[in-house]
Amino acid sequence: MALQAPTVPLRKRGAAPGRSAASGTGGRTAAIFLVPFFAVFAIAMVAPVIYSIVLSFYAQQKSGLGFGEAKTVFVGLENYFQVLASESFVSGIARLGLYCLIYIPVMVGSAVVFALLLDATVARARKLFQLLVFLPHAVPGVIAALIWAYLYTPGISPLVQALQGGGIQINFLDAHLVLPAIVNIGVWEWTGYNVIILFTALQAVPREILEAARVDGANEIRTALSIKFPLILPALGVIMLFTIIGTLQLFTEPSIIAKATPSITSTWVPNLWAYDAAFIRHNLNQAAAASIIIAGLAAILSLVVTRFSSRMNKP
Amino acid sequence: MKRRNLLMGAASLATSALLLAACGTGPTPSAVPTPTEDPSGTITFWSALAGMDKVAAAFNASQSKIKVTFETIPNADSGGYAKLSTAITAGNGPDVSTIEYPQLPQFVSNGQVQPLDGLIDKSATVDKLAGEIRGMVQFGDKTYGLPYDAAPMVMYYRQDMLAKAGVEVPKTWQEFEAAARKLKAVAPNAYLASFNPNQVPATAALAWQAGAKWFGTSGDSWKVGVNDDATKKVAGYWQKLIDDKLVKVTQAYSDEWSLDLANGTVVGVIGANWSATGIQKRTEASGQKGQWIAAEMPNWGTPAGAFYGGSSFNVTKSSKNPAAAAKFIEFLTTDEEAIKARGNTGSAFLAFPGLTPVAQQAYDASYFGNDIYAVFNKAYTTVSPDWQWGPSWDLTNTALKDAYGNLSTGGTVLEAVNTAQAATVAGLKQNGLSVKE
Repeated sequence: MALQAPTVPLRKRGAAPGRSAASGTGGRTAAIFLVPFFAVFAIAMVAPVIYSIVLSFYAQQKSGLGFGEAKTVFVGLENYFQVLASESFVSGIARLGLYCLIYIPVMVGSAVVFALLLDATVARARKLFQLLVFLPHAVPGVIAALIWAYLYTPGISPLVQALQGGGIQINFLDAHLVLPAIVNIGVWEWTGYNVIILFTALQAVPREILEAARVDGANEIRTALSIKFPLILPALGVIMLFTIIGTLQLFTEPSIIAKATPSITSTWVPNLWAYDAAFIRHNLNQAAAASIIIAGLAAILSLVVTRFSSRMNKP
Repeated sequence: MKRRNLLMGAASLATSALLLAACGTGPTPSAVPTPTEDPSGTITFWSALAGMDKVAAAFNASQSKIKVTFETIPNADSGGYAKLSTAITAGNGPDVSTIEYPQLPQFVSNGQVQPLDGLIDKSATVDKLAGEIRGMVQFGDKTYGLPYDAAPMVMYYRQDMLAKAGVEVPKTWQEFEAAARKLKAVAPNAYLASFNPNQVPATAALAWQAGAKWFGTSGDSWKVGVNDDATKKVAGYWQKLIDDKLVKVTQAYSDEWSLDLANGTVVGVIGANWSATGIQKRTEASGQKGQWIAAEMPNWGTPAGAFYGGSSFNVTKSSKNPAAAAKFIEFLTTDEEAIKARGNTGSAFLAFPGLTPVAQQAYDASYFGNDIYAVFNKAYTTVSPDWQWGPSWDLTNTALKDAYGNLSTGGTVLEAVNTAQAATVAGLKQNGLSVKE
């Protein structure tokens, strides 16, 4: 404290003349503020991406029985071809597509409904509901997956037992139901988070517009659908973007549930495929190629979503 | 494409010639410290085996030159090998690693472990081992680790349930099937055993016992036979048991599996010496003390066994003090004190002659209804010696495990081994290895 005290006025004094020439030093000041971000960005994002790209163009080639030093050879796009030709990778993408088809409408749909309901309820209950709806998101993904693995396992789960008591024989972990079962974990985890985003957007809707609607005779449902919903479309666009990128990263839930069922293979989704390539098959080069493909896919989808939502928001 | 294959073939020929030449002249002896030297320093030791911290502490207390720092790592199913392999590649792996026999050739092939030749006193260690266990750590005249345990595959049964079904302990697989049917007749909800899709080493051991050879070498090529005739026989047999609901398909060590043992849904376990602790832990609370017995595996007509699990200790590529690491490994695998220090952490069955009685003393086997060590000893003598693990076990393991995922939707064990065979061959070829089917 004692040391810092004199420096404060000093800095103030130094800054005062600079302000008059703000336009001249603005670039430099901005640069100073931006350096930390770009430094971290370069080290933690750009460098690994470049390294992965480089890695993806090489391969470790062994020969004979393989008990010798492996050679690193340049193979161009061969790794990419191998990844895309791999049946397990392609079916992983298809599975992910199916996951999105179920997950996104259910999750985003229920987030919209919850947010609109929250916005329409009275102020005191609102706080409580907000908390309740957000609570699942406060549970870390791994823990959530473990909890659900317990709830899905036949013979242990009180849920399955209760259903059996009611005459319903169901195994959430068999090959047919395991995908919806994992969708359910995602919905459980993420709906609340997105409700909060949408709810915040709803709070920003000008109250006079809502009042005008009410004066014009619109009931709550009509107001929600015709006034509030169109006004939160930009927020919905953001949610779609995050959700799609997040979905491509699907890894934690299937890898945990895999311990409870053989229905989830080690290459169930593309991220698991990349993990398997890197740490089980010890083929870092192929894993790098797979990761780049996943990143490329995320980039394309993000572009599509932003284009689509900005076009929707214009009129 | 054709030209590339040709080139690759030529390259592989050239390197194998180099390899052969290297073998002929032997390793450069000057660089390798001789075992008579007195190594010192600090080394690190990674293991997923319970009680190894106590062994490291005992070693530290027994001498003052080498200090071992122990770290527990996750087991194979929880990513232990991924951690080990990545750490060694990154140069910050431990000095001493614990690697199971199926995985060892892969680590050797990736150059991640060092040969122990010149570091250990061979006449006092490897030369004293039985041939079939020595084969697990020796590749191309070099020794890449010292075996810790030699885990003979055995069966565990609830003797009260066998009695209830009116059957003796099955001696052959035919009797096993008959016993399973009789059990079903008296206890419709009970299964004689479970089939575990996540325990590919168990499938391997069952195939091994039936005379299969999943991996072998012929000249400079690997021969892969994950779906050889013996394995097909085993696959067909288990498929029949699964189809007739005589065994239950569950993931081993899952909550469901534990519950099945505890509540008597499953009354037999395909295991090895190390399974005893797990069975006791899961069934003790439900009053099954004295009911579980160990028995030799049923066989196909003549007594035959296999190893199911077992670990070796190795000096990793990233070790900066291989001499000290080797000294510690000698202690781990051959010294009675190492076994005593581990205490009662499992029904160990050790590779080095004379150590198993020490482990037996430390282990309290009173939970079981028969002398399980006598069964281990017998099972150990029947292990077929002609088995070899392949250069990329994870490849086969994952492929078979994944293919077993289809068992619940109409897939068969036979389809699974065929898939695993294709995946193994394709994977090895992709790494540039020479493979003959």
